[in-house]
Amino acid sequence: MAFEAHLEELKIRKDHALRMGGKEKLAARRAQGVLNARERIDYLLDAGSFIESGLLATSHRPEARDKSPADGKVAGYGTVQGRPIALVSNDFTVLGASSSVVNGKKIKHVKQVANDSGMPLVLLGESAGARMPDRMGAAGRAILGQDPIEYLRDRRTPWVSALLGSCYGSSTWYACLSDFVVMRKGATMAVASSRVTALAIRQPVDAEELGGWKLHTGTTGRVDLAVDTDEQALDAVKKFLSYLPSHNGEPPPRAAVPEGSDEPITRILDLVPESRTQVYDSREVVKCVLDASSMFELKERFGKSLVTALGRVNGHTVGVIANNPKFRGGAIDVDACAKATSFLVLCDSFNVPIIFLVDQPGFLIGLEGEKRGAPGRIMNWMNALSLTSVPRISITMRKNYGQAYLNMGGGRNSDEAAAWPSADFGFMDPGTGVNVLYGLRQEDDPERFRQLVNQIAQDSAPWPLAGLYETQAIIDPRETRSYLKDILRVRFRQTTNGIGEHRLRCWPTSY
Amino acid sequence: MAMVEVRSEIAGAVWKIVVKVGDTVAEDDTLIILESMKMEIPLTATEDGVVAEIRVAENAPIAEGDVAVILRT
Repeated sequence: MAFEAHLEELKIRKDHALRMGGKEKLAARRAQGVLNARERIDYLLDAGSFIESGLLATSHRPEARDKSPADGKVAGYGTVQGRPIALVSNDFTVLGASSSVVNGKKIKHVKQVANDSGMPLVLLGESAGARMPDRMGAAGRAILGQDPIEYLRDRRTPWVSALLGSCYGSSTWYACLSDFVVMRKGATMAVASSRVTALAIRQPVDAEELGGWKLHTGTTGRVDLAVDTDEQALDAVKKFLSYLPSHNGEPPPRAAVPEGSDEPITRILDLVPESRTQVYDSREVVKCVLDASSMFELKERFGKSLVTALGRVNGHTVGVIANNPKFRGGAIDVDACAKATSFLVLCDSFNVPIIFLVDQPGFLIGLEGEKRGAPGRIMNWMNALSLTSVPRISITMRKNYGQAYLNMGGGRNSDEAAAWPSADFGFMDPGTGVNVLYGLRQEDDPERFRQLVNQIAQDSAPWPLAGLYETQAIIDPRETRSYLKDILRVRFRQTTNGIGEHRLRCWPTSY
Repeated sequence: MAMVEVRSEIAGAVWKIVVKVGDTVAEDDTLIILESMKMEIPLTATEDGVVAEIRVAENAPIAEGDVAVILRT
């Protein structure tokens, strides 16, 4: 046969690359119930759709060539639910998937293809950081920073990261640049490993404490969702992508509306207490408004007094920002500000209309917030909101106090404003208002206090605002979903087929 | 197994204690209801666990950052 020797060599080389880091390392992972880099790709992509890029790439250093199949980062293209993506799956069994000259080229290449062709980029993280000794000395320095836009994030297509093991170096950096990050519990993400960190600060460091899921879902907000298994993480990647367009030049995909989606809203009056002193979990309201089982909450454990969720109304993707009185009475703290702002960036970058569901007593004031720069966070949010060009609908359910009224789309900061009859547009709670305005406490003169509270409450009812055409509709809470269906249709930007201006595309991902 | 301190996120008064030592709770379950900002605001479990200790009494004032409940996780 012609070419026989060539073909034989090709087969030998391919087989060697597909053996990854070797039987023992692969078996050890299997024993831990953790998928390997190629199994992860198989699970993520539609069957048979993987097109590999760089199977025969290896370390450029001759002594490492044979022990660096695919140079530790498996890259390529495929489809997820029929839609094309580009991906990099870190192979920890090969030199800890450490960053090298050649695998850096692989990342750069598929990233470029994702941008050029308009595909999401998926990064399956598990990497040890810089490869040694490649990065040492002058020669090591000379391979760093050769791509001036290596860490540029301009949101032309969605980026998604799954953190599926020890993540240092590139897995960490790309997660911080991604639009959605899911972490398997037990994985860690940090600048440097606990071993390196412990050496540097001369004290023992626990990997979980340094970069585990609780830290990143609850304190830093860098991770959107934590799950138990690799498979669940990859399912979350698929689910997230299902809401978004493949690139910023098209509207999000339309989904079928599940049967029964109009049922839950009929029970909404039982979910929200009429009394302003009582709280509830606003996620139950969000579920009623959206198509059945379409709510996909992001950063559930971070800045809990504000809920951010993707979902669908009538099959169209929307982003919901809802205050949640269940936590801190819905008072908006510094974390909630950061969460709202990053969500505006996501929605605006990918042509997703934004719905505000408002019930908030104002920003959480106090020493802690000021130390963390609360005013700056509040203005960052306003600046981001001013730059959005997707449709923004605001619905005031109950309280809508203070400056936060503007952050939640008040005035011209939303395209359409509606309110429930229970809406309260005071600057603060009426009782507190009497304290501040008249210097009167309830115990001083209960009768006069009651009269003044009533007077202030009357002034802040939704009717005067409707009279001034500051809110375009007062709706029965049970009409909220049908109102949204109608107004989203009215507000769809037909002239651009729903494509926005993307002025937040270079907004810092983690300011 | 670890002991987790559940701290008040706001200043106010303890209105009702709804769990007792030994109760099993899930993340986001209400432990204590505080009165603050003219609202009844729940203090919720930060993680799944068992109530190991309750450090506050009903009607007592509570400051932001005070440890109210200890959970064993």
